[in-house]
Amino acid sequence: MQDLEQIDTSFFSAEREAELDVVGTTVPRVDARAHVTGKTQFYEDVSFPGMLHLKMARSTRHHALLKKVDTSAAAKVPGFVRALTHKDVPNNWYTILRLIGVEPNDEPVLPEDRVLFAGEQIVAILAETAEAAGEAAAKVKIDYKDLPAVFDVEEALKPGTPAIKPHGKNHFVYEGHHCRRIRFGDVDKAFAQADHVIEHRYQSAPIEHAPTETTGCIVKPEGDGRFTIHSNTQACYFTLDNAALIVGLPFNKLRVKGGTVGGGFGGKVDVIVEPIAILAAMLTQRPVKYAYSREEEMQVSSPRAAERIYIKDGIMKDGRIIARKVTLYVDAGAYSRHSPYGTTKAAAHMPGPYSIPNVWVDAHCVYTNRTPSSAMRGFGVTIGDFALESQMDRIARLLKMDPIELRMLNAYRDGDMKAHRKKAEGCALVEVMQKAAEMTGRNLPERFRKMSSLNKEGV
Amino acid sequence: MPSTIVTLKVNGRAQEFLTRPGTTLLDALRDSLSLTASKKGCAQGTCGTCTVLLDGKPVFACLVPVETVAGRSIETLEGLAAGDVLHPLQESFIALFATQCGFCSSGMIMAAKGLLDRNPDPSRADVVRAISGNVCRCTGYEAIIDAVLDAAAKMKKAAPSRRKAAE
Amino acid sequence: MLRAIDVPQTTAEALSSLARARDALVIGGGTLVMPKVQAGISGLGALVSLSRLKLDKIAIKGDKVTIGAATTLAAIGEERGLAFLQPAIESVGSPTLRNLATIGGNLFTEQPYGDIAVCLLALDAEATVATKRGMKKLPVAELLKKGIGRDAIVTAIGFKKPEKGTWFYRKAMRRAANSASIVTIAAHCSQSKGRVAKARIALGGCGTKPVLAAKAAAALEGQKLDADAIAKAGALLIQDAAPFTDAYASAWYRARVLPVHFRRAILGE
Repeated sequence: MQDLEQIDTSFFSAEREAELDVVGTTVPRVDARAHVTGKTQFYEDVSFPGMLHLKMARSTRHHALLKKVDTSAAAKVPGFVRALTHKDVPNNWYTILRLIGVEPNDEPVLPEDRVLFAGEQIVAILAETAEAAGEAAAKVKIDYKDLPAVFDVEEALKPGTPAIKPHGKNHFVYEGHHCRRIRFGDVDKAFAQADHVIEHRYQSAPIEHAPTETTGCIVKPEGDGRFTIHSNTQACYFTLDNAALIVGLPFNKLRVKGGTVGGGFGGKVDVIVEPIAILAAMLTQRPVKYAYSREEEMQVSSPRAAERIYIKDGIMKDGRIIARKVTLYVDAGAYSRHSPYGTTKAAAHMPGPYSIPNVWVDAHCVYTNRTPSSAMRGFGVTIGDFALESQMDRIARLLKMDPIELRMLNAYRDGDMKAHRKKAEGCALVEVMQKAAEMTGRNLPERFRKMSSLNKEGV
Repeated sequence: MPSTIVTLKVNGRAQEFLTRPGTTLLDALRDSLSLTASKKGCAQGTCGTCTVLLDGKPVFACLVPVETVAGRSIETLEGLAAGDVLHPLQESFIALFATQCGFCSSGMIMAAKGLLDRNPDPSRADVVRAISGNVCRCTGYEAIIDAVLDAAAKMKKAAPSRRKAAE
Repeated sequence: MLRAIDVPQTTAEALSSLARARDALVIGGGTLVMPKVQAGISGLGALVSLSRLKLDKIAIKGDKVTIGAATTLAAIGEERGLAFLQPAIESVGSPTLRNLATIGGNLFTEQPYGDIAVCLLALDAEATVATKRGMKKLPVAELLKKGIGRDAIVTAIGFKKPEKGTWFYRKAMRRAANSASIVTIAAHCSQSKGRVAKARIALGGCGTKPVLAAKAAAALEGQKLDADAIAKAGALLIQDAAPFTDAYASAWYRARVLPVHFRRAILGE
């Protein structure tokens, strides 16, 4: 807490409208006492008499047609109650972000004739106990006809690669375009004028959030046509609205009781477990619990997308970056979920917090037969930042420049026009770096000490 | 599946309940006794959220078939505070921000209690070792380690006066 | 789904329990069996618990050590007379896990877990096995290769305590604690007149079960334990090892670092 108490108020003193009095003080968490006494109620801490358990029979194939789904052996397991397939889902096709106008509905709640990734849920089994549900789910017999699978983003976009999605393309379509694009100035002209042109490739693997509490919900029919959904979703209203549309109920028939999440990190904003559990509760009129096992959490919950990013920069000897061309691929996996939005964020984030006069960005949201990716802590931006800042360090080494000075020289200032046509405001980037340099004992030259976000001093 | 009656001493009280074969101590605590502070994060003995004390020693309740510990003594987080008076570990976890989402807290605190009950003066390395079976995804562990050491210091300071009071 | 869990009071009762139920499995501390039970392995009908058989005694007479099969790793770690095993014990799981995990169970663990079994193999330990036909002794080396059959129970493990300065152990892990083995090395090198008289080297992470590195051990015998001899022996380890790829490390990586960790084990680097 020592460092927090030393807030440097010398910066922007003229801009301050109010005295800020919370930063620098210790404010106890409101939920801490309940946490440390075990009184916090997570969704799984409630249970109801007669509660059924839901387990999924899942795809063992990356990409395959479903030839036959046979639940007869599963039905013989003691405690089996019923199975649910896509035929039981009133409105089977959805995409989470349809609530903000994203199209098309590209994901089935339960797949109809094909599976697009290993681990995809196919048949929901309801049973009296979790053990019985698990045993019955393991006994669902599924005949597949394997189809060629694609696992690489650039491979997926090559002409001749079979389309895995119903709309006939392996990428999300942005207002008629094959990717999210940014065009600012003329990068080719700038590359021709630059002292140096460097290009590097960066890529990342999917990252699982691994919350200590796995994804799940318990749905309770209230007997009056309404259903209470005890969930650990991070997005109560995404869940409520999407679930209502899927099961065909008016929104006011569902009540989501959420807000207590045993670790989310973005991993609990998808709407996967609730719709099918609500449907199961509607069809049986009994409480239903659908909780991921740890293995399911690791295997099928959406990770952070893998990304591949090419950055080409035109640089002047004095350290100014005059052009940046970025080609970026987000691996959405089999379904859109939050990735079309994440890809837009990735595009808007380029070329990083730097004022570069010529910028060209193609950000592709690509479908592959991998586990669908979705939100995670700054998704669309985090991996981009890794690539951008690695690139900045490479430029500094190339020019034998101090990496902080290189960044300060190119840092955006208030009033600069960013590549995606938003004016930069309240930047403070220069000041943050000045302070960081000071705190780490680095003596910046006079020119850099006099820089400010409020003007063009030193550029 | 014949059920059996199992008796456990939980937080000082004898508790009797009916259980199906192979029920874990964790499921018995949560489902039969409604003691839901202990969590099920993996059911594999790898996350530590179900840590309770069995005859004073921390164990993963998800790995213990309840029939095998019949008659033995169990401590869970619910038994830690004396009414409204929190255990020093609980106080320190609050004061030093050692709990965020709260899902690991029960297991963390019980693992830490298992340590402090046996070793009232642990080193930082002792604390790290004691909670090495407990996963936390929020805090980065440092706040938790600080809180356990802080609680140990508080308990050590309080110990002489407690002894006096007992006399 | 489980039909029954037996908690017998005697070994004889446990054996007849096992004999009665063909789909029964022995459970010691539960750290191996319970994850399987909860993941729902099919065909498992009953569990026979060793928890009340009083198989948790450690007896040390001179250099002769006998440990009850259901003794927890925590209890072994606290035994002063077995201090040489403490680094190995500390390298397994977490203290919480070690309060449950038993030495007997370790013999039935699949790599990359089961570092104590690696030690027992290097110590040329012997298991006492109870069967319907009575008690028998079985070298751990043989037990690891062939198992004991489904209606038998390991009741104790015996070995000779190595002399001071002749025991070496190293486990390479992804993290400092609570992590599976990348490679584990346990070696007993008895010495005479400054040279290795007899060497026995066991490896973890190099097969589904711990394996003996016989060629490397033979190369050490008659040599001084210096960098040169260790390098030569280290290069031979791979001839008896079959490193595998899993989430912790690739087969290539395991093979590559095996001689390095062997050197570190012997030289205490």
